[in-house]
Amino acid sequence: MSQNKPAPGRALFSGLGVTLRNLFRRAHTKQYPDVKPELPARSRGVIALLHENCTSCMLCARECPDWCIYIDSHKETYQPEGAARPRQRNVLDRFAIDYSLCMYCGICVEVCPFDALFWSPEFDYVETDIREMLHEKEKLQSWVATVPPPPVNDANGEPAKELVAAGKAREKAETAPDS
Amino acid sequence: MTTTTTVATGSGFSSEDMVLNIGPQHPSTHGVLRLRLTLDGERIHHAEPIIGYMHRGAEKLFEVRDYRQIIVLANRHDWLSAFSNELGVVMAAERLMGLEVPERAVWARTLLAELNRILNHLMFLGSYPLEIGAITPIFYAFRERETLQAVMEEASGGRMHYMFNRVGGIKEELPEGWTTRVRQAIGDVRRRMPEIDDLIRHNDIFLARTKGVGVLSAADAEKYGCSGPIARASGFDFDVRRDEPYLAYGDLNVPVVTRQAGDCHARFECLLDQVLVSLDLADACLAKLDQLTGPVNTRLPKVLKVPEGHTYAWTENPTGINGYYLVSRGDKTPWRLKLRTASYAHVQALTTLLPGTLIPDMVAILGSMFFVVGDVDK
Repeated sequence: MSQNKPAPGRALFSGLGVTLRNLFRRAHTKQYPDVKPELPARSRGVIALLHENCTSCMLCARECPDWCIYIDSHKETYQPEGAARPRQRNVLDRFAIDYSLCMYCGICVEVCPFDALFWSPEFDYVETDIREMLHEKEKLQSWVATVPPPPVNDANGEPAKELVAAGKAREKAETAPDS
Repeated sequence: MTTTTTVATGSGFSSEDMVLNIGPQHPSTHGVLRLRLTLDGERIHHAEPIIGYMHRGAEKLFEVRDYRQIIVLANRHDWLSAFSNELGVVMAAERLMGLEVPERAVWARTLLAELNRILNHLMFLGSYPLEIGAITPIFYAFRERETLQAVMEEASGGRMHYMFNRVGGIKEELPEGWTTRVRQAIGDVRRRMPEIDDLIRHNDIFLARTKGVGVLSAADAEKYGCSGPIARASGFDFDVRRDEPYLAYGDLNVPVVTRQAGDCHARFECLLDQVLVSLDLADACLAKLDQLTGPVNTRLPKVLKVPEGHTYAWTENPTGINGYYLVSRGDKTPWRLKLRTASYAHVQALTTLLPGTLIPDMVAILGSMFFVVGDVDK
């Protein structure tokens, strides 16, 4: 560079050349509020709760690095048909995620053993009042409709464990002696 | 008998040194770095970086978080190289456990680490000219960042805080067709990289602001523990990827970009050329990843305990060497996890870099040290 110094201003024109070329190209701008972005299925936008699956086991609340999940539950006794003794089950009273604290790490979704939590790519739920960022059970349930199906795994890797489990179940049903 | 007479104190124009505080919120400090400058007119006499305005106690928090939760925190201290930060934590834990990571995971990690390096460099390639008055390059840099962030998001779900490493591998399998899309993205970025080059590398105004400004000698770089592109721009030829390979770097040919000048422009050029090197490395990783089959993680117990012992893992992060000294007492949390970050060393070097320069040059020098204040304060 210092040996064969280009004429002053030459680099300026090469820079302007880039601008000129891009002037005739399609703009890269995304018209965001009008056109919604297409986000991949794994996008961590908001956590949806399928409360029917939740057993209030508290794993997510305990594993959360900043404890932004609040769970209240009580035990209920019920009498299953044909059972000798009444059984107990947990009833979920409250499930809330405080999105003003959430770090979007996804540990809660990962540890949930009963598939009650899912990621949804929805992201535009900002509020003007920080208290509104606390999403209660009903609000979290409403996100379920936006949860996309997970992507298919790369053929070189291992198939998803759900697919393996489903395959085994099918095999079992087919080889069952009489059904 | 001798008499000493002092004449003319306090008379006429006294050019007393002025103390000027830059920051904690000066835009050119990328966050909340404070500099206490002693000035003689426009010239800086003495510079003292005062850090700690963004201290979040990451190291202390590491001690009360399990290894998965640590990744959340490690992601955030240097928000521009989140994936590389995660790597050091999991590598240290894996080494103590004596865990062999599946080959496919190793190559996927290498690929993602290189993509993360490109993302980090593009950020600085855009923001550095912006700080010294060239607005345009950041739009080009962010277009490329967007291209790469899209593929990172598709695999990990995050755009900055990836949370994709786990002890024993990566979180989940890559999506189908992802490698094709990564190859496409790398191709696009490679095709468009010359535009950033043409825009700014030899621009006369840019050269005037950066050539010969803020010269860091190789000896000083070594003395302050500078690493990465900052040290290499001063001719200090060291790269952990080549000299002490981790991940799959041992099987890759890692060309190390160096410059001799040690000025702001050399540092910028190092970054620009490293992007091209990283693009090639990412391509090599992709080629390998397509041939490999097998799992990307290891089945481990739900409650992960790392056996007693200590280890030091270091990685070549985008901005320099990151070290993780892990001391475990067999619990599910580390007893101590000491973090050595590149930016911390780079900020210290400002004490020798700044004296003698002018105030306008300070902005050029600060920007060219490519530090992230979160990485300094931790």
